[in-house]
Amino acid sequence: MSHAVKHLAVAGLIGLAAAACTAPPPPRTVAAAATAPAAAPTGAAALPAPTGSHPVGATTLYLKDASRPDPWVPEVKARELMITLWYPARAGEGRRAPYMTAKESELTLRGKKVTGVPYDVLSRTRTNAVDDAKPAGRAGSLPLVVLSPGFTMPRSTLTSLGEELASRGYVVAGVDHTYENYATTFPDGRVAECVACDSDTDPGFGAKVADVRAADVSFVLDQLTGPHAKWEGSSLIDPSEIAMAGHSIGGAGAVAAMLKDSRVRAGIDMDGTTYARIPKSGLSRPFLFMGSAGHEPAGRDNSWDRDWKLLTGWKRWLVLPGADHQSFTDVPLLVGALGIAVPGDLSPDRSAEITRTYVRAFLDRHLRHEPQPLLDEPSPRYPEVRLCTPGGAACR
Amino acid sequence: MTAKSTVAGLVLLLTVACTATTPPRTQPATATAAGSPVCAEPRGNPPPESPTTIDVVEQAYFCILANYYSGATLDARSLLTAGFAAFVQELNRGGRDVPEATMPAFTGDRTTDWAAFETVYRRVTGRLPDDAELQGKLAAATLQAVVAALDDDHARWNHAGRRPPDSYDGDQYGLGLHANIGRTANPGTALPPLFVTTVPGGPAKEAGLRPGDVIESINGSAPFAGGEVTPAAVAALYPHYPEAGAVRLRMLRQKTGRHWTVTLKPRLYRPDPATLQVVTPTLLGDGIAYVRLSGFAPDAADRVFHAISRLRAGRTLTGVVLDLRGNGGGSPDEAIRLLSGFAHGKVTAYQCAASPNTGDGACDPMRTDDSVPLLGLPLVVLTDRGCASACEHFSSAVKDLRLGQLVGTRTAGAVSGPARPYLLGDNTTLTLPSTHHLAPGREVIDRVGVAPDHYVPLTPQDAAAGRDPALGEALNLLHT
Repeated sequence: MSHAVKHLAVAGLIGLAAAACTAPPPPRTVAAAATAPAAAPTGAAALPAPTGSHPVGATTLYLKDASRPDPWVPEVKARELMITLWYPARAGEGRRAPYMTAKESELTLRGKKVTGVPYDVLSRTRTNAVDDAKPAGRAGSLPLVVLSPGFTMPRSTLTSLGEELASRGYVVAGVDHTYENYATTFPDGRVAECVACDSDTDPGFGAKVADVRAADVSFVLDQLTGPHAKWEGSSLIDPSEIAMAGHSIGGAGAVAAMLKDSRVRAGIDMDGTTYARIPKSGLSRPFLFMGSAGHEPAGRDNSWDRDWKLLTGWKRWLVLPGADHQSFTDVPLLVGALGIAVPGDLSPDRSAEITRTYVRAFLDRHLRHEPQPLLDEPSPRYPEVRLCTPGGAACR
Repeated sequence: MTAKSTVAGLVLLLTVACTATTPPRTQPATATAAGSPVCAEPRGNPPPESPTTIDVVEQAYFCILANYYSGATLDARSLLTAGFAAFVQELNRGGRDVPEATMPAFTGDRTTDWAAFETVYRRVTGRLPDDAELQGKLAAATLQAVVAALDDDHARWNHAGRRPPDSYDGDQYGLGLHANIGRTANPGTALPPLFVTTVPGGPAKEAGLRPGDVIESINGSAPFAGGEVTPAAVAALYPHYPEAGAVRLRMLRQKTGRHWTVTLKPRLYRPDPATLQVVTPTLLGDGIAYVRLSGFAPDAADRVFHAISRLRAGRTLTGVVLDLRGNGGGSPDEAIRLLSGFAHGKVTAYQCAASPNTGDGACDPMRTDDSVPLLGLPLVVLTDRGCASACEHFSSAVKDLRLGQLVGTRTAGAVSGPARPYLLGDNTTLTLPSTHHLAPGREVIDRVGVAPDHYVPLTPQDAAAGRDPALGEALNLLHT
């Protein structure tokens, strides 16, 4: 096994596939805004504190799905996954949960071709969760949210969102889809690298990734909610109130997971081109598209327009014209540490606040069944966010 | 999509790449071109296209003169004449011809000739209804003709959202068949009969067509007349969205002698995912690594190297067959990198500043990347008329530098030079080669193609029986 990992995982040169796209077909994902000159690095980042009332705990789990070979490395006869759980915890002192390992930081920065900062800098990011804190809550009371990161991005890049939701009483499972990012470390020390990066220019690649993620998420739900649940806090989860939110291709994974697994009651796609084929009969569970300027209706990416017609339940399409593709992740919060410019026109704190607020409103609406006027009208508090009606008037 | 910075990796996102169903012929070269003031390289995703106007035609005209490799020396009147001819044809087609639609006299001065052209154009279109669609169509026809006047496969105007709105990643549009003659049939090399080579899916598959089936007529037209191919007839086999007209084919299955007619309506279809892979490795008998490479996509070279090293793990390889049939090209950097696995210290091509036909262009060599480990394995490359652009860069270098042997048929002859994209005012792009490509022996490959060392064409009988005589010859060569 470790032989396979070592032998087949391919680091390096791959990630910035951006350079690759060519003229005729539109690119799959939306390009970042032009990059301003890099700023001087400021040292390790600290994530903004979550705004909810619950202390937050975090823990990682190793899950092994022996029912299928790994889709990227077929020689590996099981699909191995690492997930991070963020959850409401009992008050108490403890070590802050790590953001990622030094090795993961290095491989990620090398993969992204970020230079000029210490390679371990991401591992020194300060989080707000207590490592392995005791979960808190009544049995069967906590809604569950799965977070799926963008292609080549580790699950930790959704930490700011995960901590926020946990502080508001959600159990959050951030999933590393093994071999789809630059570094995932297993408990025995093996590090899986980005094998999927090897084929990321193949037509049909996006559809494959979305399918793999749907299968990963179903397995994660089995492991977190089933009779043989793998986590000590599993009994606190309400298995009838599960949603999934994903960034970029993780958002495409949310559509795919909802089609595959009816336990996923609601979904959010943050700026991701979608790939799963919604049947003609439609998908009737609630869905939120939240995108940057490249995801306005009738834009270059046809996928949201295509899918919108097939979403037959509660749905919203939000566009943040000032946002960048990465505005929905921790990346803006890390720019100081990385010595790079802020992507997009929103300040890092503002993009984190907007992402947290709207994702939370959606989840409160659909998992807690609380009215959320924020999602029904443009909000004077968040003029950066437009509410779109495809086929109708311009976004307002 | 272009990479915009070498610094801000995280910001540059992690894209999942392109949606091309067939790898593109051309890609930007490594060196950065700033573009000229008249037209710049696109940054990020341009906004949706707007109707083409005469101002956009003007921009394209001056963009060509500033950026096309022979832009400085070509006779610009030929572009304007072609544009004007297309303009009046489009007028005529709409039943709107007017007496003022007469081409002005040109002097040979590029700027004043353009002014004269534009004056007449505006006078004529000023008499037409102020209808954006009509005006856009006239300008588009004019622009298209100006670009086509370059008669260069790599000079293209990319416009009019060609993607069906309900398509999914990996979907293809068309009849769902490939034949032994491609969309741009070359009258000099296309040989009868026309027959189906592969049936990836869609209407052709549903109609029961099979490899080897001979196509006797297309919408009533014979594919060959007097022994020479009729390109327009063959092109009807490969409709592009939004072309949606049904195509009637008269077929012959030689084995049974059966004649029949099918009518295929182009639509979106979902090909077998396995056929979409850019790199497909297989271990053949006697330790031969067979790798099919369908395009020089980003990282294509490293993917081939990884594939070979995986096949090599735990066994001794005796040779490599690289199947480049149907490889429509891609990045010249990938062609160079792949060549670098077979030779070091070599020039793989020259990029020349002006047309070699008009003489005197300065040429820059493209060199192997000698940091790439040598594979140290005998090489046979399979080629056909579908091997274009970067694929011909690769094939010509293999042949000229004697890195291996080419088996199959002559390549496409579509490698004028690495093309760069330029954004126009209507948010369409123009792609133009800024240099002209020469093989390592300094010979022109564009329009000529690369002749294989061993000519092994595919016959309909082979296709019907699933035989691959070129691969058979490749294995013979590696075994001897």
